[in-house]
Amino acid sequence: MGRGQGVLTATGTAVEAHERAHLSEEARRARRRARASTLGLASSPVGYLVLFFLVPVILVAMYSVGALTLLPKDEYLSLQPWRDLLFGSIYLGVFWRSVQMALIVSVGAVLLAYPIAYVLALVAGGRKYTLLLLIIAPFLTSYLLRVLALRVILQEEGVVNSFLRTIGALGADQSIGWLYNSRFAVYFVLIYVWIPFVALPIFVALDNLDLALLEASSDLGASRWRTFRSVTLPLSMPGVIGAFIFVFIPTIGEYITPLLVGGPDNFMFGNAIQGAFLAGFDWQFGSAMSMFLVLVVMALIAIFGRYLNVRTVSE
Amino acid sequence: MNVAVSKGGRRTLWGLFGFLVVFLYAPIVILIMFSVNDRTLVSFPWQGFTLRWYRTFMQNSALLLALRTSAMIATVTAIVTVALAIPASVLFVRRRFFGKPFVSALVLSPLVIPLVVFGIALLILFNTLAVPLSPWTVAVGHIVIALPFAVLTLVPRLERIPAYLEEASRDLGASAMTAFRSITLPLMTPAIVSSFLISFVISFDEVVIASFIAGDEPTFPLYLFSQLRLPSRLPQVIAVAVVVMLASGILVVASEVWRRIANHRLERQIALVEGEEAIA
Repeated sequence: MGRGQGVLTATGTAVEAHERAHLSEEARRARRRARASTLGLASSPVGYLVLFFLVPVILVAMYSVGALTLLPKDEYLSLQPWRDLLFGSIYLGVFWRSVQMALIVSVGAVLLAYPIAYVLALVAGGRKYTLLLLIIAPFLTSYLLRVLALRVILQEEGVVNSFLRTIGALGADQSIGWLYNSRFAVYFVLIYVWIPFVALPIFVALDNLDLALLEASSDLGASRWRTFRSVTLPLSMPGVIGAFIFVFIPTIGEYITPLLVGGPDNFMFGNAIQGAFLAGFDWQFGSAMSMFLVLVVMALIAIFGRYLNVRTVSE
Repeated sequence: MNVAVSKGGRRTLWGLFGFLVVFLYAPIVILIMFSVNDRTLVSFPWQGFTLRWYRTFMQNSALLLALRTSAMIATVTAIVTVALAIPASVLFVRRRFFGKPFVSALVLSPLVIPLVVFGIALLILFNTLAVPLSPWTVAVGHIVIALPFAVLTLVPRLERIPAYLEEASRDLGASAMTAFRSITLPLMTPAIVSSFLISFVISFDEVVIASFIAGDEPTFPLYLFSQLRLPSRLPQVIAVAVVVMLASGILVVASEVWRRIANHRLERQIALVEGEEAIA
């Protein structure tokens, strides 16, 4: 009310004063209505996510320190699972192996997706959106079924080996060892699956590039390669880093691809977590591993979050 | 002169591009090829064309049941997801309020949570609440992971719809709800259809969360998983994979194309309206 009255004494007449008081009353009511409707809009999505996303994750955190117990063998209030995980378990080794594998997958996917994005954004001209759809269409179909397709191709009795046997390059019982149940298979399948997804943010970064900058660089005597190295590439780095992080994060926790084409020697952290729950029934240790992974993801987001232009997922 | 690429470079880049497109599509094409190969092993040699694998899966009642379960879960997921995504997108585009960064972080964070962790989190939640596992509990989880995708599909469309259209209808006496329902909602239709389909496909395909909380009724991906141990089932699994893949691909691509066309049309109409205003 304070500010309204200040204006009132400064300007004078009673009629004006009345009008102003009325107006501000109206404005305040409108603001209150807007606030109420904002709350109404927020209530259902936020309520749902708090109940079925936030609370469950908090329960995992509680479970990992024994603040919540469900199974008879669970220890009440104990840091033992965390101690087991961080000091002297083989699972930390699995974690680092997963980080390393995720790094290789992300770098591989970015390296292959960059030329795709470059062609689409800077070479394709008017056809770029049609071609973009061609690239991302596989990403829109089933992830599981694409992994399945590659499994059928790579496995011992699969398409590649049987083809080589048919043309006589392999003996009747022979198969290529590194093709299936191998580290290579995990890399190959994950990179295959991620390429369309990675191409998207890089495409957006390159598509928003001001072409005048490239022309300026060329006018100043730079070769195309030099222009690419010192103008195009640095300007597209936010897209590249965003794409990299978007692949890196889910890949650390991968579980389907190692299971279907990698075999036990190439299991990743996601497989270790799943094993603790469904095979080992050690929910507390599994929860500690889960929370550890969540904390790693949160740290990565805190560091690289500004490069994650999530809008590129939809546009 | 093109500063982005030389003539030779252009040829090399297109070559590389073509190669990668072939690489992306080859496994799908191979899968289709071997789904009609008349051989119980999914491998060479080629033994002639057959549709019997498609017939076999059409008669496999366990498989059909799993498909039905997944279709039901996906439908529920898509309906609820869209119902939550519409208010969320209006919130993001049209409102400024305290705590907005927190709300958008909350809505987007399912994009980055490892699915294994989320599946476990739901398993613990339902155990704590003593809720029996069923297709419904799977839908509860799928809604969470589909929501950010649905919101990100709606937001760009809503941003293209000028707020003054709704304000004008409010000035003419419509209530907030009526104005939204009769002005904004119809203009959002293409994006709503897209986000419905995207949510449906995400749910239909999801296997990690389902593996923790599906209970006794397997979803389609879980059924596929269980069949992979039996080589004799592989040909029909591949046949059904081809059908599902093509159907979901065509659906989503069609809705994408439609959404893009609708966006262009909307932009043209708005440009027209604003052009007339400028003249007046």
